[in-house]
Amino acid sequence: MILIDKYAYCNKIQGISPMEKVTFSIGTLIICLAVNSLLVDGLVIALMALLLIFYVGIPSKFYCKMMFLPISFLLLGLLGIALDMSSQQSNFVSSLPLGKYYLGFTEQGLHTANILFFRALASVSCLYYLSLTTPIVEIIAVLRKAKMPELFLELMSLIYRFIFVLLETADKIYLAQSSRLGYADLKKSYSSLGHLISNLFIRAFKRSNDLYSALEARGYQGSLRVMEKKYKISSKNIFLIFIWLIILILTANIR
Amino acid sequence: MAEYILQTENLYYQYPDGTPALNGISVKIEKGKKIALLGLNGAGKTTLFLHFNGLLKPAKGKVLYNGQPIDYKHKNLIDLRKKVGIVFQDPDSQLFAATVKQDISFGPINLDLSEEQVERRVQQALEAVSIVHLQDKPTHFLSYGQKKSVSIADVLAMQPEVIIFDEPTAWLDPSSTKNIMQTFQRINQAGTTIILSTHDVDLAYNWADYIIILKNGNILGEGLPENILADDGFLQEAGLIKPTILEIYSALQANELLKKADVPRNKQDLLKMINEIRI
Repeated sequence: MILIDKYAYCNKIQGISPMEKVTFSIGTLIICLAVNSLLVDGLVIALMALLLIFYVGIPSKFYCKMMFLPISFLLLGLLGIALDMSSQQSNFVSSLPLGKYYLGFTEQGLHTANILFFRALASVSCLYYLSLTTPIVEIIAVLRKAKMPELFLELMSLIYRFIFVLLETADKIYLAQSSRLGYADLKKSYSSLGHLISNLFIRAFKRSNDLYSALEARGYQGSLRVMEKKYKISSKNIFLIFIWLIILILTANIR
Repeated sequence: MAEYILQTENLYYQYPDGTPALNGISVKIEKGKKIALLGLNGAGKTTLFLHFNGLLKPAKGKVLYNGQPIDYKHKNLIDLRKKVGIVFQDPDSQLFAATVKQDISFGPINLDLSEEQVERRVQQALEAVSIVHLQDKPTHFLSYGQKKSVSIADVLAMQPEVIIFDEPTAWLDPSSTKNIMQTFQRINQAGTTIILSTHDVDLAYNWADYIIILKNGNILGEGLPENILADDGFLQEAGLIKPTILEIYSALQANELLKKADVPRNKQDLLKMINEIRI
């Protein structure tokens, strides 16, 4: 999670307008979800991987690891979709007898699972592209231009900032506890962890009060306005993005 | 006659749980000066600071800005906070935005300045604390010392008339401390009144024009550094130790090595006096 954040800030395409990155990844995502084509999914997975590794400069090992993260969830989920139960063995491609019933894969089930698998991976790689190239701040800036409600955006940016403050606090408490043998055995670990969590809540509350005073001291009047970085939108990039999206739509029609 | 930018008259405050925090404090902060507030933990320094820009409202007594009592109406408080800035002790409770530049821009934007002016203020503040190279860094990538610098730039960018620093040198390494003290010197020379709280008697002695000592929510004493920090009995009562320079100076005097001269305010002065000793 923290590594993703780091790459979002330090990559080879920092200077490119977040608007273009969002258009590219979300546009691709929408087409992926809207059309039902294995070819499109395959194309998207391949292009995102190539772009991220060669153009953005994400280490290929790290990207592979990230792609494996959803695979375990996916396989478990797909098992539920692909598996079926019936009293007639003829419905199944392959099956196991369970008393009077049979448990197995139907052709329909396998087909759906197959499509879902690639669609999910393609969508995930679109979102990975966005999160590995665009810092949250800039995504928020784009959302602001898209006229998202201000309250929602402020919450987003505060939550983002405080994830790190809380992680740091939790880390400090954890270190302090383990240096006094708080995690020496299982029983102690449970009790220490309980203290850590309850303490984290109390500190989070205190911090939010402190933050409020600090904001008030700087003239806070109910809205968190800050300066946003300015980017030039490159018409060449926009053109390329549209070509890509059109190719995707055309590919979807190949049967 | 001296001009007082901030004053309190008989200020009382207690925490919501009933613990008294300030017990009738009357102080006067002279315009354009460097004031140090000394006192042990829990003496009431931070609470007093929060009264200076209206973040806390006194239970009894008054706070005056430029001779006018603070009016606790929302609009007037906003005006007051434009003129009295506070840099909090823990930068993590002050920095809220994702990048350094954004965090610094928050104050100037609240002053309703134009975009160019905000940009200029941010650049000036970045330069003043020498962190121009950090401007696009996300705040959570910074070290403690860097966060501290950003929290100072945050308030500098608002260009207030008074800046209050709550224990600015706590947890800082000696070289960062030195840099920060030099920054304060520059800000002060540009005409800003500076109030800071500290436990470091040596630092206060070297730096301050005027010293106020708090204990248990009361003013124990105030005055020029060379007067107030020279009194052994008083320092003991305050729970403070004598500045090293003053200690050496009085030892030299007691042994009749130094003639009656000006009291040295820093190491250089003292060394010069010692070098001039002819036995």
